[in-house]
Amino acid sequence: MEASVVEARASRAAALGLGLLLLAAALIAVILLSMATGARAIPVDMVWSALTAFDPNSTEHRIVWDLRLPRTLVGVLVGLALGLSGAVLQGATRNPLADPSILGINSGAALFVVLGVSVFGITQLGFYVWLAFIGAGVAMLVVYSVASLGREGATPIKLALAGAAMTAIMLAVINAILLTSPRTLDEVRFWQVGSLAGRSMDIALQVSPFIAIGAALALMSARLLDGLSMGDDVARALGQRIGLSRALAGLAAVILAGAAVAAAGPIAFVGLTIPHVARAITGPGYRWILPYSMLMAPILLLGADIIGRVIAPPGEVQVGIVTAFIGAPFFIALVRRRKLAAL
Amino acid sequence: MVLRTLAIAAAFSGAVVAAAQAESWTYTDGSGQTVTLDAVPQRIIASQDAAAGLIPLGIRPVGIYADSPVAEAKALEGLDLAGIEIIGQAWGEVDIEKAAALEPDLIIAEWWNRNAVWSGGENVVATLSQIAPITGVSAGDSIVGMIEDYEVLAQSLGADLAAPAIAQNKTAFETAVADFKAAVASKPGLTALAVYAGDDALYVADPAGAAELLDMQSWGLDIVKPQGVDATGNNYFETVSWENADRYQADLILVDNRAESTMATALAQPTWTLMKAAEAGQVAEWPAFWLRNYKAYAGALTDLTAAINAADPDLTP
Repeated sequence: MEASVVEARASRAAALGLGLLLLAAALIAVILLSMATGARAIPVDMVWSALTAFDPNSTEHRIVWDLRLPRTLVGVLVGLALGLSGAVLQGATRNPLADPSILGINSGAALFVVLGVSVFGITQLGFYVWLAFIGAGVAMLVVYSVASLGREGATPIKLALAGAAMTAIMLAVINAILLTSPRTLDEVRFWQVGSLAGRSMDIALQVSPFIAIGAALALMSARLLDGLSMGDDVARALGQRIGLSRALAGLAAVILAGAAVAAAGPIAFVGLTIPHVARAITGPGYRWILPYSMLMAPILLLGADIIGRVIAPPGEVQVGIVTAFIGAPFFIALVRRRKLAAL
Repeated sequence: MVLRTLAIAAAFSGAVVAAAQAESWTYTDGSGQTVTLDAVPQRIIASQDAAAGLIPLGIRPVGIYADSPVAEAKALEGLDLAGIEIIGQAWGEVDIEKAAALEPDLIIAEWWNRNAVWSGGENVVATLSQIAPITGVSAGDSIVGMIEDYEVLAQSLGADLAAPAIAQNKTAFETAVADFKAAVASKPGLTALAVYAGDDALYVADPAGAAELLDMQSWGLDIVKPQGVDATGNNYFETVSWENADRYQADLILVDNRAESTMATALAQPTWTLMKAAEAGQVAEWPAFWLRNYKAYAGALTDLTAAINAADPDLTP
């Protein structure tokens, strides 16, 4: 009997491992599709030769390298960061609706960008990255400090409430600025929806170290999240330092979500939906939920971006709008089909 | 009978005297409406473009509403704004309390026929027209024509167009036009393309929608007309993805200079140099939509003349 349990576990792990491989293959396919899709018709073999034998005199090669590659890379990085941060936040706060926007991360980033534009007149995308990043960090610090007040420390419910309250306050300030300053509204409205358009290689390079660190921290915290998911008392009884676990996971989530919002603006639904899909496939273990989220989110984000690029020529629909359109019904279907896993 | 005639004559002449004393003022604006006031208006609130047309002719408004922070408004560049209240610094935005406190007799804006709206937009017009009647010239097919319209308007408001400074600006402008024509004539085959550069796309201007481009066309400059502009809608540009930046080629690219950052945005695009003129550095500033007086126009033309003289006209067939 003991042997059959071990065997079942092993075959389950093999199946999940195979699933990861399939997801990786799907991600590569979406990346190639993203490289081949755009306003200009470039044949697939030309895209391939641009990647393998770059010719600086070829217009098509330059477009693939200078426009599509950075955009695709930013899409993969942002998707990965959103998927992981959503999964980690849901685990650390044990709140199935946790995502970067609930804990005030997105609104903190938006507030700093809006302040930067309205007070300092910043208009270059390259500066938004840093403003958004600092804003996300400051907001998360404030939310965490407010939630930590009182005897029990930062419990999941207090974190969610503090996040919601801070979000409301920051949105009020953002709206006050935008309503009184049409110029600022004009500057930030494209950023505010979330988009991958016009992202240069510089932006990918600026955020990639943060996403690498955040992803490493997040993947390392899988065991801690499994402990937390059994409840604080059980986790404590198993010898886990829950405050430290939660802080570590929170740090990973903030770094990832901050980098994502910095690079692409606040993109809704990816960080919320993907971990639930992952959990539906893998079951409750974070050892599998995290890598599944990490691979599925960029597939969704890049796929949505590709749809947005071709759906309304000669213009484009921003990826934030497409993910909301895909994400919301998908999430409703998910909730209706099976009860959300109690975290 | 005689008495009666005298009485009528007396009554008639009395009416004439009364009218002369009140000196009523009438102006038919760009939208075809006529505004009549009991006296020549003294206190005027002007849109930034109307102010740019009137101030150099000696008509000083009491208030200006601008489309952007005044320091960045190209139309107001170099004008003496001392003592003029700024009542708006963003498009569609005006401070109604400041406007009312100025107690204006008249609002002068510009009528944009292509989208049937006064400058500043519906909100601003709805707000300001409660305080005073609104009028102004039409944003027409020629900046020269608009300046002449401003001369007529300014004269009716009491301006002396024969003042030496005003005449001098006009002469300098005529010289600049002659130089521009000579430069264009010396470069047969030279083509130009007017664009706005955004982070999201390249916007290619339809010369038929920009008065200064129409002026330059009439002076001989060959400006490329984009194919995809919807002339019936509110559309002055064709949107071109940066992937297709080479769709229209020309020997000289003119970049919209209403915002200083537009040129930097253009230069930062990896595919900007897919345009041969950009690759060759044959890029100049396009004084887009904001020229309203001879002095500014002469300055812009001088820069463009220099760019044309330096350009190789054979980059494109």
